[in-house]
Amino acid sequence: MRIQHAGETFRKEDEIPVKVQLFVSCLADMVRPEAAIAAVHVLEKRGVGVEFPEGQTCCGQFSYNAGYQHEAAVMARHFVRVFESGTQEDPTDILALSGSCAATVMHTYPGLLYEDALQQGEPETKAREWKKRAEAVAGRVHEWSMWLGEHADQPMAPNGSPLPVAYHLGCHMRRLLPESRKAQDLLRALGIDAREPENAEECCGFGGTYSFTEPVVSTALADDKLANVQNLVQDAGAVCLTGADLGCLLHLEGRLRRQESSLPVCHVAELVELADQNRLTPDQVRQLEQGGGK
Amino acid sequence: MAGQLPYDNRPWPERRDAALQNQTMRHTIGFVTRRFTLIKGEIYRTSPDLEASRKTAVGQKRQAIRDLPQLLEQFRNQVERRGAHTYLAAQAQDAVDIALNIARSHQAELVIKSKSMVTEEIELNQAFEKAGIPVRETDLGEYIIQLAKERPSHILAPAAHRNRHQVEELFQADASREKISPPQSDEIEDLTRYARSRLRQEFLRADMGVTGGNFLVAETGTLVLITNEGNADMVTSLPPVLVSIVGVEKIVRDWASLTEIIQQPAMSGIGRHLSSYTTMIQGPKSPGSVEGPREWHVILVDNGRMALRDTEFEDVLSCIRCGACLNACPVFREVGGHAYGSVYPGPIGIVETPLLTDFQVLPELPSALCTLCHACQEACPMDIALPDHIISLRHTIVKRHLNSSTVNWTLRTWARFWSTPGGYRRSISLARVMQRLSGKKRNAQGLFPGIFAGWGQTREIPQVAPKTFHEWWQEWKERAEEK
Ligand code: SF4
Repeated sequence: MRIQHAGETFRKEDEIPVKVQLFVSCLADMVRPEAAIAAVHVLEKRGVGVEFPEGQTCCGQFSYNAGYQHEAAVMARHFVRVFESGTQEDPTDILALSGSCAATVMHTYPGLLYEDALQQGEPETKAREWKKRAEAVAGRVHEWSMWLGEHADQPMAPNGSPLPVAYHLGCHMRRLLPESRKAQDLLRALGIDAREPENAEECCGFGGTYSFTEPVVSTALADDKLANVQNLVQDAGAVCLTGADLGCLLHLEGRLRRQESSLPVCHVAELVELADQNRLTPDQVRQLEQGGGK
Repeated sequence: MAGQLPYDNRPWPERRDAALQNQTMRHTIGFVTRRFTLIKGEIYRTSPDLEASRKTAVGQKRQAIRDLPQLLEQFRNQVERRGAHTYLAAQAQDAVDIALNIARSHQAELVIKSKSMVTEEIELNQAFEKAGIPVRETDLGEYIIQLAKERPSHILAPAAHRNRHQVEELFQADASREKISPPQSDEIEDLTRYARSRLRQEFLRADMGVTGGNFLVAETGTLVLITNEGNADMVTSLPPVLVSIVGVEKIVRDWASLTEIIQQPAMSGIGRHLSSYTTMIQGPKSPGSVEGPREWHVILVDNGRMALRDTEFEDVLSCIRCGACLNACPVFREVGGHAYGSVYPGPIGIVETPLLTDFQVLPELPSALCTLCHACQEACPMDIALPDHIISLRHTIVKRHLNSSTVNWTLRTWARFWSTPGGYRRSISLARVMQRLSGKKRNAQGLFPGIFAGWGQTREIPQVAPKTFHEWWQEWKERAEEK
């Protein structure tokens, strides 16, 4: 299915893909749907039709990185099937609401599905076929904010001083997706002053299942990251912590809340939507956190 | 054959907690590693022309590993042609036995050593001390940890976990034991001056020298040592007998490949174009020359290395021990080297330790000490696929049933539920039920299944939304269709 809203757009129709598929990620789906909803609104505002293949679940990265390759392959095959269906004629871009999931599909799937097919006793031809299917899907995947920055014009940044926020660029997006630092340009164009904390390139400690299996080290890393984020709050007046990866953000948010901090944490899509609506103020950002942003 | 590596037998949680409680160490290690990483980045940025050389070095090193048996043969022939002796030690214990035999046959009474990781790996010092032959480390960092009775915490900077105040304390104690004048202050210069004068006496007395080796040039039979203190020059020229103990993987084909690779350890390790001293040994002293050892013995150590050839892990043998991956690793910065429990810490250590020993030693390393942030991959000048290897080792751990049953249960059940939309929906309903049962209570992680409970120890557990995106979309779609 496909939904097209006419409405106001920011860009000439013929310069922007008319339709994309959204992969929201299991985390956004379950615990931060506001991020995915904002992502839909932002795209539609720019005249992009959004399709949400409803069979989608999770990219399987958690399992893969924990060493459960067959389990990951089961989820990866499901992902490939879901995003293949109905797109053979018209392969649309797939926008992932997580840099890390996007990297998994792009870099891990082809080799994983090839290997797993062989492991399961499939013939070589079948394994190669899986690899090809995975590559075809992987070639369509993009991280949402990077895609947006590249393909869509942004509304004029409002007059007045930009809103400072602490921006966390997750490790996989930073290191596995080329040019990912450009994602911040999108925010700047919208009047969001994205600032990376000191030692930005240092992992926040999430690491998928690592955050469950090694909570002590994971949290020590979170505390280092958050100390630098707090410096941005103090020195630069950052009003929230944002980023394109909910895994990192939920881990850091969980730590902030345990320490009784109320610093808002939100996905970049939520900020972009606020900017679209001309509601980019510290107050509105705080309301996001309370689930009042919709 | 699997190799033998020494290890700390305290369990990981104990090693971890000891590390995290040591604030001085954490501060010092954090400072040193970030600084090294910074200057490393700087030197590659300001010398873009050297990138081509690095790439050439990687290609040549990979080829040398593929040709390892022939190149080793060539190296041994060249060395022996000049009257030196070579040995191939299959395991750590063999290398120790060979070295001890040489020492005994010369009735060695004092051994001086330059810095070497492979001698840590085979626990040479411990074996010599046990045999009643004292060994004196002459690299400043090694000397410090020898006084402290510790193991290196970093493959390049063995005492990186100690600050200068702590070093001064060690030297003060040493001075009063030896009844000599102590360092004048904890300024680096005074500390170095103390160590230098203290070690000088030992240099002159020693009757055997031990070195490691950074490179072995097959073409010419040359052993190359790079140091920043020049102590290797003394170790290789003063004592009458010299024993060099080197991992077999240190081989490079020829002089041309040496010139490409020789800058890499210093550039990646300390952000400098070259180490201060490069020492080359080509054979024992020839008749008529004044310097050099009368005898030279080269012990080539396998200890699990050869078995990695022709496997997906072969590139690990290209490691030049520059330490860049340790410096870049966020977990290493947090817990320091000792928490790993292996002589090889950091990303390369968590890959090599289980690999060299066929998982006999510290099999928890790949899972417990890596967040898969890929910083090591970015840092490694030899393009070793460290994160991929770590994932692969985790996979081996799963296949060999080395994980706890909780981890197994969680990951398998999870995948079973989430590989179909129906299962995915059921898991969400289940999570909601659990959430209701736990209420808003803190520390309600007891209710969470499997490994998920770990999250709640230190962080609030995120709540499942009243309406998932799937559910929202359903409504949104219906509304849109009505329009
Ligand atoms: S793995 Fe790479 S970065 Fe780490 S010590 Fe070896 S060569 Fe250096």
